[in-house]
Amino acid sequence: MTTVSMTVNGSPVSRDVEDNTLLAFFLRESLGLTGTHVGCDTTQCGCCVVHVDGRSVKSCTMLAAQANGCAVTTIEGLATGDKLHPVQEAFRTYHALQCGFCTPGMIMAATNLIDTYQGELTEEIVREEMEGNLCRCTGYHNIVKAILAAADAMRPARRAAE
Amino acid sequence: MLNERAFKAVGRPLPRKEDLRLITGKGRFTDDFNFPGQVWAAMVRSPHPHARIVAIDSEGARAMPGVLGVYTGADCERDGLKPIPHNPVPSTNFDVKLTGRGGTKVFIGSHMLLPADKSRHVGEAVAMVVAETRDQAYAAAEAVDVTYDVLPWVADTAAAAEPDAPRLWDEIPDNILVDSSFGDVEGTEASFARAAHVVTMRSHVGRVTGVPLEPRAAVGHYDTATGRYTLYAGSGGAVRQKRELAEVLNEDQQNLRLLSFDVGGNFGTRNRAYVEFGLVLYASRKLGRPVKFRAERSESFLTDYQGRDLVTEVSLAIDADGKFLAMRASNLSNVGSRCVSLSPLSKGSGLITGSYDIPFATLRSRAVYSNTMPTQAYRSSGRPEVTFAIERLIDKAARELGFDRLDLRRRNLVRPQQMPYVNAVGSSYDSGEYEANMDRLLALADWQGMEARRAEAKSRGKILGFGFANYVESSIGTPKERADVIVRPDGVEVVIGTQPAGQGHETSFAQVTADLLGVPFENVTITLGDTDVVSAGGGTHSGRSMRHASTVLALASEDLIAKGQALAAHVLGVPLDSVVFEDGVFRVADRNTFLSWFDLARRSDDEGLPAQLRGGLKVRRDSEMHTPVFPNGACACEIEVDPETGGLDIVRYSTVDDVGRCINPLIVHGQTHGGIAQGVGQALWEQCVIDPGSGQPTSGSFMDYGMPRFDNMPSFKTQIVEVLSPTNPFGVKAGGEGGTTPAPAVIMSAVEDALSEFGPIDFEMPATALKIWSHIQSGRARLRSSNAA
Repeated sequence: MTTVSMTVNGSPVSRDVEDNTLLAFFLRESLGLTGTHVGCDTTQCGCCVVHVDGRSVKSCTMLAAQANGCAVTTIEGLATGDKLHPVQEAFRTYHALQCGFCTPGMIMAATNLIDTYQGELTEEIVREEMEGNLCRCTGYHNIVKAILAAADAMRPARRAAE
Repeated sequence: MLNERAFKAVGRPLPRKEDLRLITGKGRFTDDFNFPGQVWAAMVRSPHPHARIVAIDSEGARAMPGVLGVYTGADCERDGLKPIPHNPVPSTNFDVKLTGRGGTKVFIGSHMLLPADKSRHVGEAVAMVVAETRDQAYAAAEAVDVTYDVLPWVADTAAAAEPDAPRLWDEIPDNILVDSSFGDVEGTEASFARAAHVVTMRSHVGRVTGVPLEPRAAVGHYDTATGRYTLYAGSGGAVRQKRELAEVLNEDQQNLRLLSFDVGGNFGTRNRAYVEFGLVLYASRKLGRPVKFRAERSESFLTDYQGRDLVTEVSLAIDADGKFLAMRASNLSNVGSRCVSLSPLSKGSGLITGSYDIPFATLRSRAVYSNTMPTQAYRSSGRPEVTFAIERLIDKAARELGFDRLDLRRRNLVRPQQMPYVNAVGSSYDSGEYEANMDRLLALADWQGMEARRAEAKSRGKILGFGFANYVESSIGTPKERADVIVRPDGVEVVIGTQPAGQGHETSFAQVTADLLGVPFENVTITLGDTDVVSAGGGTHSGRSMRHASTVLALASEDLIAKGQALAAHVLGVPLDSVVFEDGVFRVADRNTFLSWFDLARRSDDEGLPAQLRGGLKVRRDSEMHTPVFPNGACACEIEVDPETGGLDIVRYSTVDDVGRCINPLIVHGQTHGGIAQGVGQALWEQCVIDPGSGQPTSGSFMDYGMPRFDNMPSFKTQIVEVLSPTNPFGVKAGGEGGTTPAPAVIMSAVEDALSEFGPIDFEMPATALKIWSHIQSGRARLRSSNAA
């Protein structure tokens, strides 16, 4: 057993877990944050993406112990109170989700992409950068639209300046 | 009668009610549920495609940490468990009638939760281990020692139908369980005899799997105090699963409660009960603790019910002017090791003539067992297969006989004035404007500009290919549906027995209910998925849900309005016939007095109400509707092939889909997009590969099963056409599966067009870069040698 401590969605947490506990299951099973989903066990589907110290991470392939001392944000921590994050809002407006299983990972990956990508976000760039997230319902069409719309909402100055 | 002018919600692209919980991490998927004292199940899976189970030694496993029990097929038999009653033969009045040879009953091999005799495919569960933790259960499953007597096996569809193929079931002389013939033999033979041309094609639409992103899971609990079982398991219809699992457990249905809330994708894979669903309930009864199972992705690839796998041989008789005279088809469906559904074969059988007026046809429909995972209806069950056959055959006829491929189609399309049109095997197409769909599609796809784009692509060293397909499909599905509509002072609740997995029923059904009752969309909620609340219902498959739901809701709202009128008359103290219902309120003629639904709901428990008005403002309505509908459309795409690598990009993809009445265009377009991706996936990447030497499936993860991804899919142009179906009150046909139905044909049509200079393509889907590159290489070699000669 290992004691793991980290900040999750702004609150400090500490739990004793088996050494081999993955971050995804630490969040789901130790903390009850079931918004983070596990779809493949092998780092390929992206349903489990969370932010660890500001970076997108597939939490099914990171030990909870590796996140010791880190700041983790999950889908449950993205909105500010009742105010949805612009990416969440855009996913709803553009019908960028159907079954909703890939959606938390999709939103977390897209949020990080918009926050960190230096150049202009085009359809081609979004498709290339998001390639590590799978969706079986939408054919990606509306997700691309939602991400581009959210990018416009989040950083109008940057897009206009380029 | 519907008053379309009163529609305020129907037809509008309203954002979904479902979304808020799903975008904030508050969805309720099966694995999100945990219970005190819960333990875990893991399966011991057969490594052999076909093997007799000689002995199972579980002593080592039982000694491992945390292990609570090991169960085998012999245990299941001893404890009186019954096979899963899949009821695979489609049986509505309009389904084609499939039989065994010579009209005999179809032989259905028993599907026990765990087999006691032999394993019939790689990955079949032969024992279950239950332990305190999931890791302990999976580790102990490795330690169960099964002695197998390995048997000869067969996985390939055509090979399995050979008379000397290894046999899966002793009860029948070979592997063929269905062998039925349809159509007019005499008329067809006479037409072939006088035809100027006969074109023939054989193809195999291969095996794929649905890949819902939520791995299947189940958590079961047997309450020793009440003797009741509870199962949380995402599915395509909790009511059906309750009925079937009750039979498996030999229990009354009332002793089971099934709950299916948010379901992370279905596409047909979840419409039949899985053995693990029964097994966790069984183990919970044995151990007195809640038992959970969650499949790993590799288990999903091995043992989710799979799709397609149809070998088809088709011939078309054509006269000198290009008019189709008759068609002969023979379809062979691979059902896998057990028969859970014959829907793919049945659906396809009724549609072999496609969108075309072909006076005569004969069809032989066969189904065969093989040592593979069972197949089920997968996204647009049976229709992509037959659409592939007729559309690719028409492309071939045009190429070989010198017709323009679009013109040849136009000459033979069923015309609107022929509707309702009964095709040569008896299916009655309800409505549609097939040639107008083609015109709309060619405009949407900018067909006029295609040759200029082809020249431009060539200047970049790319070869542009243009693909085209028409389609018609049938939506049938379970004929019965039930709705409870309950009006309360703060809103309207609808309880209904469909089961969405992303199709947005909470939104579109609320739109329908809101307009039927004249209440705000925001005031309607839809309740699904808990069999203690949802008493009956047919689940979600075959594009049935919107049509059946809107029909039963229309009927229920008539009853509810009648009840409301009676209540209003009583409350207002006026004769019944002076109360009129309009604009969502109950008025008294010539008086400025009215009551809203919510006013009435507040008075529905008043003391002193006559007996027939008591008990709340609510109705329960059942509906039974067998008549199928026939969604239809046209589809085009453009691809660019890199001749040096064989790689391709889809650069344009356009569809026109007649869905009948479209309740929510935002949802229907989204359904079409996803449907396209699944059809394109099969054409280009997806395949459940079985190693021909060992019988081992080799597509076990996302590393070796090619998926549609962000960077290999284009954006789409999708157009909805609403030719209302005369078969149901709202005129609904179906949306979503139409995205999938023409997609394999249209992609292969584009591949063939791109590669035409190298000769007709002779490979099956998926059209991988290697196949395309090899075709270009051999084509070039042929051209070189003919130039040299």
